[in-house]
Order: sequence, then structure tokens, then C-alpha cells
Amino acid sequence: MQLTLARHPVTEINFGDKTRLDGTSLLVDAEELRALLLADDRLQSVDLETVRAGENCRVGPVFDIIEPRAKEPGSSPDFPGILNTPATAGMGTTHVLDGAAVTVLIEGSVADTEGRVGRVLEMSGPAGEWSPYSSLQHFIVAPHARPELATHIKLNATRRAGMKAVVYLAQAAMGETSAETTTFDAVGPMVEGREGLPRVAYVGQIFSRQRSPEIDEKVIYGANTNGMMPLLLHPDEWLDGAIVPSYTLSLGGAETYFYQNHPVITDLYRRHEAGELSFVGTVATIAGSDNEDRDRNCQAAANLAKWSLKPDAAVLTKFGGGVPHSDMAITANLLEGAGIRTAVMVSDMAKDRRIESALLFNFPDVDAIVYCGGVDTIWKVPRAERVVAGHPDLTEALAMSQEIGAASIVGILNQQGATRLRAVIY
Amino acid sequence: MRIVHYVNQFFGGVGGEEAAGSPLEERAGAVGPGLLFEQMMGEGAEIVTTLICGDNHAVEHQDEVVASVVDKVKKARAELFVAGPCFEAGRYGMAAGAICAAVQSELGIPVVTGMSEENPGTDLYRESLYIIDSGRQTAEMRGVMVKMADLSKKMMNNEKIGSPSEEGYLIRGLIRDEFVEQTAGRRLVDMLLAKVKGEPFESEMVSTFFEPIFMSVAVKDISNAKVMVITDGGLVPKGNPDNIEGMAATRWGTYNLEGLDDLKSEDYEISHGGYDPKFVQEDPHRLVPLDALRELEKEGAIGELHNEFISTSGLGNPLSNTRRMGKEMVEKVKEEGVDAVILTST
Repeated sequence: MQLTLARHPVTEINFGDKTRLDGTSLLVDAEELRALLLADDRLQSVDLETVRAGENCRVGPVFDIIEPRAKEPGSSPDFPGILNTPATAGMGTTHVLDGAAVTVLIEGSVADTEGRVGRVLEMSGPAGEWSPYSSLQHFIVAPHARPELATHIKLNATRRAGMKAVVYLAQAAMGETSAETTTFDAVGPMVEGREGLPRVAYVGQIFSRQRSPEIDEKVIYGANTNGMMPLLLHPDEWLDGAIVPSYTLSLGGAETYFYQNHPVITDLYRRHEAGELSFVGTVATIAGSDNEDRDRNCQAAANLAKWSLKPDAAVLTKFGGGVPHSDMAITANLLEGAGIRTAVMVSDMAKDRRIESALLFNFPDVDAIVYCGGVDTIWKVPRAERVVAGHPDLTEALAMSQEIGAASIVGILNQQGATRLRAVIY
Repeated sequence: MRIVHYVNQFFGGVGGEEAAGSPLEERAGAVGPGLLFEQMMGEGAEIVTTLICGDNHAVEHQDEVVASVVDKVKKARAELFVAGPCFEAGRYGMAAGAICAAVQSELGIPVVTGMSEENPGTDLYRESLYIIDSGRQTAEMRGVMVKMADLSKKMMNNEKIGSPSEEGYLIRGLIRDEFVEQTAGRRLVDMLLAKVKGEPFESEMVSTFFEPIFMSVAVKDISNAKVMVITDGGLVPKGNPDNIEGMAATRWGTYNLEGLDDLKSEDYEISHGGYDPKFVQEDPHRLVPLDALRELEKEGAIGELHNEFISTSGLGNPLSNTRRMGKEMVEKVKEEGVDAVILTST
């Protein structure tokens, strides 16, 4: 298994008569893309826009942000389980439009959202400067599903439209010479010649069963996690389209973009290549809906890591709300019990800003904790000069000057590890 | 910069334990440790007044001493108030803490003190004050004064106050958001590598603990007891009449069960954002088991079911809030003459 990323820098996106990459400028034939997306007859229309990095523009409500990527023929498929059969991801060459992003909007009218604008992409101003997404060139896809369809069908169509757009755009780079080609080092439990380096695994949650997933929700290889037990994955499967975030996020964002550029996995790779550690692999797991679920999953995740990867140490992240912290900590505690050192990443939930309210678990050995903030970071953002809305009714609600919290600006909080907002105890 | 300094009878040179009853007195200029503090603060800083009080007097007449100090600090037109350091002297720490808290809240000027972790004043005032960790050794006076002066200068200049380990103050137990250079993912791997190599690392979250809550004594005769259900699963009548928030609820509601044998799905909804509510929505008895309790009532297994239940949402709720609501619920339970409560959660 070996993944190669062929990076093609993109510094601007414009509409044109033929979709192609002209140097670092991406030109998009809107009509061709629209026809491709509307081949899905669940959609009745789709709005396409471009937004420049740092532009005075507010976009929302955001469904997902995805890096434009397309697989070279003969490689593993694009988004297996969503656009293709669920064959193993992470093999061959992936063309990447570096510096670009496809931002997919939810179609929510004011009535649907009770006037709330959901998560917004803030491209400039006091809040935007803290989001890693504000420095990217965005291509906005706002699909409008047929109104009579059930919500889960609309969401499924929205997911699929975003993925199709991403692949379509990145295919423009096929055949072009990439500026940079990265082939990841071989990693895994059996890699030789790394004696003396700490063997490190990643155990990451990809879903929380606090909410039942929709029947046709895509989370991992197109499956919705029903009946899922912890699963051994090669790191490249995370990076190359096997996993996408669920429809429901709470306490911290997760976007496909940061699966493709997973902050923990890419950092483990970097240090593996620098000879600081030996990256032995990953376990994908879920947070349970009840205690029995939790016990089963935590034990299976810890055992899988212990027996299959034989790590000296593991980093763990959670997905979703407060309860998944328990699943993560129990798993970490089981690993510690097996002699595997751990560090975990948690989200602050103490609304009264007192540490007594911050307690989520208390295992003496789970003592290396990264503490992500967000509870009391609120900006008063100025009126936006330009707005791109998922539904025209939301335009004014998005445009106006308003108070907006860290959790509502996509990219500020991120439970995949991209956030730089820390909760500091003092 | 005008500074007022508070010390006890010992550091003020009045006397030892035999002088612990001496009343509050005021002296112009710096006295004892104040001379050192003034020197550390550098040019332009002046302790205009030193206030000295016996430890026993300060604790026994606390309200009076606090009010008097606040008044004197105000009259001295102080821009900074300093007390101690108190090391592990308990009465000194309690008095200094109370005085500092009052000066801070009433006069709004920067306030710095010093105590040891073990000083009882630390537990009482650590959340509201910056207390430099003085340790227990009075021989460390010089080092402690350097930290107190450095922190004072930062507060005077409205500079950002760093972490407890950077500044040397005792952890206050509070949380604030801060943007940092490295992503969470990177810090996570950094911390793990330090831990696995046995190198020192600083967890970003400290372990906290709950006060133990002891089980009440068993109900003597349940067959004669009045039983009530309280739930934090967020079951409320359709329309959520009390507007109980689905997260960090600030309210709780009391809902009637009189004459009901059955909770119908269509009459209720769930205000709780932290669990999958579909099973409770399908059959509310899964959270508030009215059906089973009515049977037990009929069988005589319980005396009677109280004719209402209490509900709130137990999600993401700070302890300061839940403690208040818990106390309010206990009042209600007592008022109603309830003997036993069944608590259901999710």
C-alpha cells in the first residue's frame, strides 16, 4: 500500500468555457458541471459560485468542505462507497488541487433553520483570519433537492453532489505536470529498520452513536456505522476518501478536508519520516450509544491496537459531543493497562469556566490531555460585502453584522486536530 | 505608583503570637517585607501605607477589619494592593484573602498576594485572586517577592497574564480560550512522544474530582412511602411549556401525573441534545416508568406515587448550575412530603 499525492497549486478559480488547469488558475465550465450534478434526479437545481481567499464574503450554511482530489486511472477509486464500489482506498496516485476547496452548502430556508445560519465560512475579518479555510480558493456548490423528498434523501444527494464536484474539478489536473509529488513512507506494524523508535498508533473515533445515523448516511466506505466494530485501517485510507464526517456534528467541527489532510495522521507521518517515531497504523472506532456498546467498542479498539499494531504509545481523538470523551478515555485507560502510553484530545465543555465543571473522566493514567477551547470565543463580525447562501432567504441573516461563536465558524473548532483554539487552565 | 501593603503583626514587627490580638494599625511607608517589594518594583513605585493587624484580631473581627482596610486603601489613593506573602500561616492567609477579595471587587485595582498551597486561605480565595505560590519557607521571601512584583507589574500594565507555571501563581481553577501557535493535533503527538520517552510533559487539563456523594439511608417502609420520579432525560409535555433548554439547562419543570396511568408519546417531547431520543419518544415510560409505578402502587408495593414528576435536561451543564437546581428540587420534594425519589438518567 503506497499513496502518492500529485499536488497542483491553485491560486485562482474562475468560470470559463472549458474546465482546465491553466498554470495555477482553475477554469470551470459551469454548464458541464451542472449537467453532471443534475444527472442525479433528486436535485432540481444547483448554484455554483467562486470565492477568493481572504475575500470580504460570508458563506453558509456549510454542509462540508472538501479538497478537490481525483484518482489517476488504475489507482484505488474516488470516494469508495460513495461514488464507487467500496474498494480499499489509499492506493496509487491522487491528484490534488492544492490551495483550493469545494464548499458544499445545505439548502436550508429560514423556516427550516428557524433563521439560524448554521456553520458559516468566514473568509475575512476578525474571525476569518483564525480559520484555515479563509486562505483557500473556494468553489461553492449549493445543491437544491426536490422539496418533496425526505430529509435524509436530500442530505444523501447533497453529499454525493459535493464529491462529484470535487472529482470533476480535480480531473482537470490529470495529465498536467504536478508541482510536487509526495509518496508517503511505508508505515505499519511490520516495517523494519526502525528499532529503538517508539511505535505509535492512532485510535480515532469517526462517529458518535448519540444519534442514530440515517439509513443512507455515508460515514466509512459508504456504510453508516450500524453494527460497526472498531476497524484496522491503513493511515492512507483516512487520507484518501474512505471516511467522511457525519451529518451531525457537535462540539467541534469535522470536515472531509481534514480527513484528506488529517492533522494527527499527517503529523505522525512527518515524524515517522523524520525518524522520531515508527508509525504502526490506525484503528477507526465509534462512540457507543449505551454502556454495553461502549464497553464492547472500547475493549475491541484497545485489543485491536494492542494485538495487531503492537504499539508503545497511541494518540486518541473523539468525534461528536460530550459522551464520546468517555469512550475515548476508557479506550486510553485500557491501552495504559496494557502498557501502551496514551495522549488524548478533548473539547472543553465547562460553560461556567470552572475546572470542576470540566471533568469528563478521571483515570490517573490518562494524564496527557490536549484541551481544545471554544466555549467563550465569540466575535462581533462586521456586515459582509458579499454573501453566498444555501437558500436566498438566508442572505440577509448571513450578511448582517452579528455575534458569532467559534463553533459556528467552520475551521475554528476541529476535532480532527486542526484547531489552534486552546482551553487554558489558569 | 502608589501601593498599599498589608502584613500581619509578625512581619509588621509588632510581635509574635503574644501580639496576635493587636488591632489594625496604619504606618506611613514600607515596613519589613514591603521594603523588599518596593525595591523589586523599581523606580517610581512607592508603598505609601503599610497596614498591620494581629492574626487573631483580623480573623475574629474580619468584617470590621476588611471594611476598614478597604476604606484606608481608598483614602490612600492606591493603584496597587499587596498582601503578605503569608506562606503557610493560616489565620494570616484567611485574613489576607478576605481583604484582597474585598479590595479587588470594591475598588477595582490590581491585587496580588502570596500563600502556600496548604494555606486555608488558598482554598477559599484561589478562584478570585492571583495568589503567588510562596511555598512554606519564609527564607524564600526574596524569590517570592520577585514573582509578586513581576505579576504586579504585568497587572498594572494590563499585560497578558501567563499560565500558573509561567507566573508562579497557584492555579485558580478557571478556564479561558486562547489561540496558540501549534494545532491540537501537533500538540497531541508532542505530548505523547514526551510521555513515552519518560520526559516531562504538561497536560493541558488537570484532573479534577467530585466531592463524594453518600448514599442516603434506605427507606424504612417502602410500602408506605410516597415516591416521586425525577429525570434529567428531558421529557417534557408537548410544546416544552417551561422552555427547558436542551443543553446546559437553567430550568426544571414539574409535570402532572394525576389521573394518568399511561404517558402517551404524542403528549410529550424530549428537550435534550445529548442522546438518541427516539426510544423515549416512542414510549416515554422508558424514561419515566409511570406504568410500572402504577402497578406497584396498586399491588401496595409502594405507598403512593406522587402526582407529578420533575424533569430537566442533564447535558453540558456546569456544576454551579446543577447544584442550584438540585437544591431547588430538594426543597420541592420536601414540601410535597415525598419519602423516596427515583432518579432516571440516559
